[in-house]
Amino acid sequence: MRFLSRPERLTRLGVILWALRIALIVFVLAGSYATLSGASGLVLSPEGWRDLVITGIAQGSVYALIALGYTLVYGILFMINFAHGEIFTAGAFTGFFVAVALAEEGIMEANPVLGIVILLLSSMITSMIVAVLLERIAYRPLRRAPRLVPLITAIGASLVLQYSFRGIYGSGVRMVPLPDAIQGRVEILGIPILRSQLIVVIAAVGLMFALYYLVEKTRTGRSMRAVSEDKEVAGLMGINVDRTIATTFAIGGSLAGAAGVLYVFIFNQVSFAMGFLPGIKAFTAAVLGGIGNIVGAMLGGLTLGILESIGPFLLLSGFGVPSTNQLRDVIAFSMLVIVLIFRPYGILGRKES
Amino acid sequence: MNEGRRPVDARLVLKRATGMGAIAGLAGVYLSLVGIVERFETRNVVTGVVTLGLLTVAIAILVAAFVAPRPPRAWGMAEPSRGLKLAASVLAGAAAASVLVLFLIAVESLDLRDIFPNASSSLSRILSLGMDGPAGWAALAALCLAMGSIAGGLHALRPRDRQPLVAAMSAVLLVSLMEPFLNNVFLQLRQNALASFIYERSGLTIPAALIVFVVVLAVAAFETYRGKQARERVESLPAPTRRNAKYVTLFFVGVLLLVLPHLMGVFLSEVVGTVGLYMLMGLGLNIVVGYAGLLDLGYVAFFAVGAYATALLTSPASSLGLGLDFWIALPIVMVIAAITGIIIGAPVLRLRGDYLAIVTLGFGEIVRILLLSDALRPIFGGAQGILAIPPPEIGDLRLAGPVNLYYPILAFVVLGAFVAWTLANSRVGRAWNAMREDEEVAAATGINTTNYKLLAFAIGAVFGCVAGAFLSVKIGVVFPQRLDILVSITVLSLIILGGMGSIRGVILGAFVLVGLPELLREFAEYRLLIYGGVLVTMMLLRPEGLLPNRSRQRELHEEHDAEETQYQQRAGGDTGAPVISSP
Repeated sequence: MRFLSRPERLTRLGVILWALRIALIVFVLAGSYATLSGASGLVLSPEGWRDLVITGIAQGSVYALIALGYTLVYGILFMINFAHGEIFTAGAFTGFFVAVALAEEGIMEANPVLGIVILLLSSMITSMIVAVLLERIAYRPLRRAPRLVPLITAIGASLVLQYSFRGIYGSGVRMVPLPDAIQGRVEILGIPILRSQLIVVIAAVGLMFALYYLVEKTRTGRSMRAVSEDKEVAGLMGINVDRTIATTFAIGGSLAGAAGVLYVFIFNQVSFAMGFLPGIKAFTAAVLGGIGNIVGAMLGGLTLGILESIGPFLLLSGFGVPSTNQLRDVIAFSMLVIVLIFRPYGILGRKES
Repeated sequence: MNEGRRPVDARLVLKRATGMGAIAGLAGVYLSLVGIVERFETRNVVTGVVTLGLLTVAIAILVAAFVAPRPPRAWGMAEPSRGLKLAASVLAGAAAASVLVLFLIAVESLDLRDIFPNASSSLSRILSLGMDGPAGWAALAALCLAMGSIAGGLHALRPRDRQPLVAAMSAVLLVSLMEPFLNNVFLQLRQNALASFIYERSGLTIPAALIVFVVVLAVAAFETYRGKQARERVESLPAPTRRNAKYVTLFFVGVLLLVLPHLMGVFLSEVVGTVGLYMLMGLGLNIVVGYAGLLDLGYVAFFAVGAYATALLTSPASSLGLGLDFWIALPIVMVIAAITGIIIGAPVLRLRGDYLAIVTLGFGEIVRILLLSDALRPIFGGAQGILAIPPPEIGDLRLAGPVNLYYPILAFVVLGAFVAWTLANSRVGRAWNAMREDEEVAAATGINTTNYKLLAFAIGAVFGCVAGAFLSVKIGVVFPQRLDILVSITVLSLIILGGMGSIRGVILGAFVLVGLPELLREFAEYRLLIYGGVLVTMMLLRPEGLLPNRSRQRELHEEHDAEETQYQQRAGGDTGAPVISSP
């Protein structure tokens, strides 16, 4: 009962922060109550809520896959890889071109499972190459520079990649041809679920388990954990630090590539700027779960996906706010701001000394 | 000079040169696929001789072939002989040639346009210098080899002979790129004959290019050979004379600034006005990023607040409908700005550098989405924004149009630069300096870091809001689409290019990064690509910026020097192998 015996000294800033906390809680409670009691006349059926949650889970698992890349890199280099969203875009574009090719060859219709595996593998390899090159060219020379320097480099790299995609592939939005196997609904336990969402969740969960195994049980994973504890000592213990960091980028990149394909399954289109928002949201998810924490990133992704899906309606429509769906991104960004301000070490992270 | 270094290993040098040449070739492929080659091809550098599109590829090869023969310092190798350097440069050119010719063949024979829309027949025509089939391949290869040989030839020259030559070539390129500006000024001054003598179809004419080349060559040669004596003579002048010379220069700069819009005409005044707004924002963000060391990625939020607050207060068509005078509204906007700065600043101050950057980015986006949303349409007008913002008035004079608005913007830029300069050299500036270099030590010496950070945020916000206020009266409407993160990125890039904490740097950065793309339509399409490139390149090669602030430069180089000593210690052994090796 430390907080009872020795209260912290209240500073002006502390008072402001407490006031903000209370205002937030009141806002969330009042908004939810107003919506759920149906005061505004806008009511959603239980099935409606359920579908929102399922959509949230599917999107959240994509965020989780991207968030893993942020968390892995942050865990090792203590730097935000701002260009991670663009690595995701690279995967999505590769997925698009491969999907077109597969559709032309008829493989997608004949053997959808093989088609999806080919899609995932090709995107993962492309994104992995982009991520490793990025690390080699832009980040490795700056490893000892002051903290803001690699961050600014990462912002620059993000712009370069994004507008290279625009220059190379054009600025339009391209629709992805999806096979019938991915469209339609299936019933699981009596609940109709979109096939695409089901595939996304299954693939994401599989990849997350693979990552968990890799980091916890293999030699590579052990050297990654060692480098994240202490680079110098790990180097003295005979670990090739440069290669381990490159491996980390490779793993994070390939997960982002897979996320790119899965995102395409949900939204059906690719464009050069598509990486920005998922990138920021996945970063939020990583922070939400405690940055550097793999399980945290998964939980953070799911939490953010669900909150983003139900949040606008739950919190705002009760106040009679029109077209709440436009404010979806505000919920995500507010989560980002709130988490970073009040709990920068995340749900599962430990408070730094 | 070569003491204690390994003898030259020719094989290693040539291997590295081949690799760098191949990278340059890939850079050429990138420039082609991204569309820069084709898009820039429409701009002549020297009309009838060189166009900008192919020149970008040629310059990439030239730079790579020039850098290639020098062994990196970490190898601890002696300087290679001239013959070896020439061979390495030519080899680099050959490597680039093989990559590019393969690419050209691929573009000609395969149809890649489904994936790469820019890999078109017009691209292959540019790369093959207008020739068909094998002749075109040979022409491209010859171009690459020529670049390699030129680079090798530059190595053969003494540095003091080389520098004027490079300066003269760069000057021709620069004067040619200034065409939209200079040509406009000449036409404004009714010097049509002069304009058509110097420029023809967006590029320099051959005689004009020769004149520029010779003049700059002569000036640069004088500078390298006699520059030192000349500077010493200036320095040996008595102090009052020098001070007077400075005042005279300042006076002429002032007069030039005052008559500038009349020299430039409406179009260029509009461009310079935009540059001025970005200068104001640059000065403001420079206080936050450069002085206080807080990386704010949501600076556009203040710009938006300024623009919308002005619109709400002055426009009779706004939801408030007050229709206040601009000069009454401006102080109110500034107060609102400072309060917004503190509101946004207060909660994020405890965060470390990179988290702070992301949170401010979040704030910037939240502001934009809220302005755009239907929910707040009754106040901010949603996607349409707020219309009919009246121009400022002084007495009976309506400051409408770019030429008239130039003056208040200029006044505020000068005022802003003065405020920033005063702050930097005051007690506050020193506190920021201390805080940026080491926050804990600063706090321990009695600096209230919270208050100083808030002060930086508030002042930065005021600058941003004033820029926003002028934006709203400049275009007469405000709408949220243009107020996105790219504004923040632009301002950040111009600070980084000029140098964090450097006022001269902000001015240079705004002219180069905002002015140039406004003038050269070819650049406008790739401006964000270029900004990103600027951020990465500056951080990798010259983190203190082009016109650095002295203390900042020292700060960044301490780190570099530490790194360098460490690296040399590592490479000190004869093997040069890294200390860390794989298990």
